[in-house]
Amino acid sequence: MATGLYQRLNISSAISNSAFQIQKKFKIGAYFCQMKVLIIEDELQLAQSVIGYLSGENYICEHASTYQQALEKLCVYEYQCILLDLMLPDGNGLQLLEEIKKRQQQEGVIIISAKDSYDDKIKGLQIGADDYLAKPFHLPELAARVYSVIRRRSFQNNNVVQQEELQIDLLAKTVHIHDKPVLLTRKEFDLLIYFLSNKNRVISKNALAEHLSGDIADMLDNHSFVYAHIKNLKRKLHEAGCGNYLKTVYATGYKWEV
Amino acid sequence: MSKLLNKSLKIFILYAGIVLAGSIPAYYFIVDLIWEHELKEHNLIVSETIKQNLQSLSLSDEELAASITLWNKLRPETQLQPVAALLPDSTYNIYRKNKYIPAKGKDRFQGLITYFSINGKPFRLTLETNMEESHETIMAIAVVTIMFFLILLGGFILINRRIAERLWRPFYNSLGKIQSFNLHKPEEISFDHSDIEEFRLLNHHLHKLITGNIASYQQQKEFTQHASHELQTPLSVIKFKLDLLHQSEPLTEEQSDIIDQAHQALAKVTRVNKNLLLLAKIENSQFPEKEQIDLSSLIERYVPFLQDFLDDKQLQVQLNITRPVQLSVNKTLLEIVLTNLFMNAIRYSETGSVIQLSLDEHHLMMANTGTEALDTQRLFRRFGLSAPHSSGTGLGLAIIHEVCQLYGWKESYRFENGFHIFSIHWS
Repeated sequence: MATGLYQRLNISSAISNSAFQIQKKFKIGAYFCQMKVLIIEDELQLAQSVIGYLSGENYICEHASTYQQALEKLCVYEYQCILLDLMLPDGNGLQLLEEIKKRQQQEGVIIISAKDSYDDKIKGLQIGADDYLAKPFHLPELAARVYSVIRRRSFQNNNVVQQEELQIDLLAKTVHIHDKPVLLTRKEFDLLIYFLSNKNRVISKNALAEHLSGDIADMLDNHSFVYAHIKNLKRKLHEAGCGNYLKTVYATGYKWEV
Repeated sequence: MSKLLNKSLKIFILYAGIVLAGSIPAYYFIVDLIWEHELKEHNLIVSETIKQNLQSLSLSDEELAASITLWNKLRPETQLQPVAALLPDSTYNIYRKNKYIPAKGKDRFQGLITYFSINGKPFRLTLETNMEESHETIMAIAVVTIMFFLILLGGFILINRRIAERLWRPFYNSLGKIQSFNLHKPEEISFDHSDIEEFRLLNHHLHKLITGNIASYQQQKEFTQHASHELQTPLSVIKFKLDLLHQSEPLTEEQSDIIDQAHQALAKVTRVNKNLLLLAKIENSQFPEKEQIDLSSLIERYVPFLQDFLDDKQLQVQLNITRPVQLSVNKTLLEIVLTNLFMNAIRYSETGSVIQLSLDEHHLMMANTGTEALDTQRLFRRFGLSAPHSSGTGLGLAIIHEVCQLYGWKESYRFENGFHIFSIHWS
């Protein structure tokens, strides 16, 4: 037993040594091009899907499937966002969250839980999680949350997104096209951010409805209000001279193409 | 509804009444028979005494005639008369008016006619003894019997009450415990020890039955919760995979449609799962927190959230709130009740109609248009009215029912003038 533990300590210190050098290399690039996301999730299928979806979005994803593995990775690397499943085979996610918060790093934490428990949510947010997502959710929803958590954490003072003629101030919630303000409703603004955080991805109407109305949305099948909001958003962007980025994919999906 | 003991008491009293009533004639006949027998014997003894005494006097014929005349005058109940010939003895029973005390009315007599000879001459001796009249006998017996019956009746009632109190106490104790038992809020139930075999058995089996029920109910609840949790991950996997599938290129319109339809079906399963989980949580009392909530302002703040759905069906909400209503409840549960009520109304309303909500001190009432009355029997049951093609989960009203149960409210439904009216009553 004792030797086993000793060996393990040795191994982990070996890992941290080599990882330290890699971390240094990445640290410079992290803020400027690609964001690193750590997915702590024991269900491989879920983790793979998340990695598959986020990887194309300027994110570098890493995966830890146990409490221990997650701790090791956290010791070595620096992440901009951590997706944390509360139910891990070898430990409680909330405890891990406390560990993460103790280190006082810049990363944002989004709790992903199958439990949808009010208590866990409150506790998680109190310990310092930035967001809480109850399974099952849509991948674009996760992407949107990751996007906004990273923007909030890493660009506190200058949280302005620029894309060609489009300029969005995430803090003030204002939109400018060709430097002229465009007045959007809260829901239209939400949709715009949602699309920007899911660039070049097809988003189903279903996901948009859930995003707009949360829990209430999934109680009704008829989601024509989504169509109404998107139509208005498109019209306003078009009238202000914005390029036609928002495409309809057949009748059931939408895509922000750049 | 009569009590078990009263039922047996009634039968006992009836039986006692019949027996006692039957005993009246029986007693009468026996008493009368003994009377008659005794008087006959008495008459015989007296007549024999008279005979022998007269014969032993050895009177002359004159003296005898004078004695007999005197005798007959002094003792009218015994008549001594000379007759032509000796005849066999005979008896009779007769009612006769009292010559000397007419107020006494008729008297009853037991008579004996016997023949004998003195100095060779035949004589007839008629002897009468006053006897109790039969109606008086019956009366006396009846009075005594009724008295006994009353004593018996009083005794029965008294004993019955005692028995009910003492003998049946364990039974009523157990009954009270079962009455106050609620499977939804199970508390450890223990029955008193009883010396009586039947009660001991009853309590033993009741205890077994109830603990078995609690256990299986608990298991069922845990099962639902576990099953729902277990389902969350595969549901997430499906959802993720569909989202990924949507990104495949090239994507045909057909594929896009299939993904959309799969999403819709998945959304329904997710909803059912969420609601089952919610029901299990309510049953497991996992919403213990309570706070004072102003329901009227909650409703007013809530309606704007529904605007998108209302717009989709061009519905209007008409609020009829008279005054602020304060409730001490769990906020999450109250919001769920509101959501479910509103969603039902939105889902089943005709396009362009008006949903009415009224709130007063003890009622919340929601009315929306409809074509025909719903089956009230099954309405608030789980999957009671669910239709395979409806977007509803068939659990919304069951959740409302469960919340109402939790807080002791009463939910109800009626169909009136083309309106489905759901209301919740609290006190």
